[in-house]
Amino acid sequence: MTAPAVQRTLSLKEIGPAQRGSRPDEVVVAVSPAFGDYFSKTIVDVPHAEVVRQILAGIEEQGVAARMVKVWDTADLAAVAHTGARLSGSGISIGLLSRGTAMIHQRDLPRLSNLELFPQSPLLDAEVFRRIGSNAAQYAKGESPAPVPTRNDQMARPRWQAKAALLHLKEYECIVAGRKPVEVEPVVSRA
Amino acid sequence: MTLVVGVDIGNSTTEACVASVGEGRVEYLGTALTRTTGVKGTPDNTQGAVAAVRRALDGRTPDLVLLNEATPVISGLAMETISETIITESTMIGHNPATPGGEGTGVGTTVAIEALASASGPCIVVVPAGWDFDDVAHEIDSSSAQVVAAVLAHDDAVLVCNRLATPIPVVDEVGAVEKVPLGMLAAVEVAPPGRTIRTLSDAYGLASVFGLDPEQTRQVSPVARALTGNRSAVVVRTPSGDVTDRRIPVGTLTLTGAGKTQRVDVDAGADEIMTVLSRVQPLDDATGEPGTHVGGMLAQVRDTMTDVTGQPANEIRIRDVLAVDTTVPHEVRGGLAGEIAPERAVALAAMVRTSRSRMQVVADQVAAALGCRAEIGGVEGEMAVRGALTTPGTAVPIAVLDLGGGSTDAALLTHEGSAAVHVAGAGELVTKLIDSELALDDREQAEAVKRHPLAKAESFFHVRHEDGTVQFFREPLPSHVFARVVTMGPEGPAPVRTRHTVDHVRRVRREAKRKVFAVNAVRALRQVAPGGSLRLLEFVVLLGGSALDFEIPELIADALAPHGIVCGIGNVHGTEGPRNAVASGLVDAWSRR
Repeated sequence: MTAPAVQRTLSLKEIGPAQRGSRPDEVVVAVSPAFGDYFSKTIVDVPHAEVVRQILAGIEEQGVAARMVKVWDTADLAAVAHTGARLSGSGISIGLLSRGTAMIHQRDLPRLSNLELFPQSPLLDAEVFRRIGSNAAQYAKGESPAPVPTRNDQMARPRWQAKAALLHLKEYECIVAGRKPVEVEPVVSRA
Repeated sequence: MTLVVGVDIGNSTTEACVASVGEGRVEYLGTALTRTTGVKGTPDNTQGAVAAVRRALDGRTPDLVLLNEATPVISGLAMETISETIITESTMIGHNPATPGGEGTGVGTTVAIEALASASGPCIVVVPAGWDFDDVAHEIDSSSAQVVAAVLAHDDAVLVCNRLATPIPVVDEVGAVEKVPLGMLAAVEVAPPGRTIRTLSDAYGLASVFGLDPEQTRQVSPVARALTGNRSAVVVRTPSGDVTDRRIPVGTLTLTGAGKTQRVDVDAGADEIMTVLSRVQPLDDATGEPGTHVGGMLAQVRDTMTDVTGQPANEIRIRDVLAVDTTVPHEVRGGLAGEIAPERAVALAAMVRTSRSRMQVVADQVAAALGCRAEIGGVEGEMAVRGALTTPGTAVPIAVLDLGGGSTDAALLTHEGSAAVHVAGAGELVTKLIDSELALDDREQAEAVKRHPLAKAESFFHVRHEDGTVQFFREPLPSHVFARVVTMGPEGPAPVRTRHTVDHVRRVRREAKRKVFAVNAVRALRQVAPGGSLRLLEFVVLLGGSALDFEIPELIADALAPHGIVCGIGNVHGTEGPRNAVASGLVDAWSRR
């Protein structure tokens, strides 16, 4: 899937405190504090607008509803994703960090476990985000999707570790301790 | 008192039974089971036999080891696909994407999305890879042409449909969309969720859509048949496009026996092969036409036997064949979206009787390893009957069915004497059928599907078993089984890599078992029954590893029930279950000498 020629921007409009969903057909997308805010693209310059658009498209294609939540008091992926999962009506969530690292989580799992983990943020592109959305929606429907093939690059660590560490520090600075998760509405507009 | 060990070397397992024999009394002390090393009847067996004996002895020193005269029966398996679906001129897309968009039928001319501006009349837009769903929807909505349907490369159908002012039927995930002929009349149909298409899967529906005459309708009827059961489909009308269901000529099988020679085309299917086979019983040999697939299949079996037995290939005789019809999912040739069609295939199990068994070599090696005497104690079939008779509630006349890994054996003991036969096809064939029908491509997983009941892990705390009952767990299940079809083995749930439902996998598993074991049970018992009549048998005892299966005994009992036979699972010594019959029979026979 090639990136579209048009540039899009993302803004996350705060709606209010995140409530626990009651619809069994929803997936919650939980993002870290700096996502779509201090940061606007991932570690490999995939715009956050595109990340969100593709994840939501993957969910929509499966006929499942999506809700977005911003988690303020942590930048730990497992904690972000698990917070989302506990708010999700289906119990399924996708956790996202600003640099692109992603995870599919489920409410009943221990916090540090997961359904699918995509740890190497430099290898995640628009197509992978679409498939992450699609798989999360299929779990919500009780189907058995084949896990998204995870790519692996031994050079990713030496090449990107320094940048990832810097991005993580910045993300950490955006944490607002004690602030509850907030439901947000993603507004994607063409630049 | 003498410490005697009976050892039964089978196709897949080696069993040992220790007893102390003295003054006409036999006291059974213990049993053990290991995997057979090497092919049954060859010196490679020694290692497994010694291991089984040591385990059963538990530190004691034996006086005598008794080995079975392993029936010199070795089986081989082969499978050949006999049908092939070919789509010519890219006329049809019937790959059933999980999420098509819209519903209804659209008929129009195929137009590339880039050329939509200059199109007129009803058209079906064809979108190659690289187009974003927002752009596609915008392009369709703003076009002056009347777009009645769409065919997409990406998984975007619902997305595009949701963004259109008026929804149209959309088929997506067409990988080779660039091969769709442009400027041709075509039809796209998408059925509502839970339904299947009605127009394009019907010959007269196609005729109405494309205005065909009777001759043309006859030509397109295979297309309609190929699309049956789909939720979505695309048919493009090209001058000579077609879908053919071709039979692959795989050659003829020549069966010799009872003074006759008969030929049968393998692509006629399993029923025909088995009918012809029944006319030439007992079989002397089976050969395949050289240079054909079936020739290759049987040559492969012979080669294996040559390696194992050291006999020259031309001396090896195939003494029984079991043909089973099966289906193998194959990618359709000429398909645009990786369509998979279930192709028909025939699986053959062949059984070879070797002229000499090398058990004496095994016996000598076992004796050397354990420092005791080792003898060949008796013929397997007779020993099995003796062991089976220790099952509570049985009496002579008795028939046993030994459901093994490679062959199904029947033996009959009456007041007048005994008889035994071996027929090809058993547990290994079932595993192979499950493996290929589910396209698992993993023998271990197929084995797990064969051995254990299925369930679906519906949440982390409960599974729904294949019979619909729900079981809850206190501890969460591991995350890799979540939402998957699992086998409920002794180590807990293990995922099966398949997109099929529990019901489908269950049906495949039961059918494979029925096609092999129920068919073979009747076939083998007919051969030992007096006058070939099953009604004259009274007690049938099931033995062997496959008798431990959770449903094979019930499938066989169902097949035998109409003949008024008491059929059940053997319980050797009233404690051992269907295992260890031959090993126990060996000890028993020796003690009566």
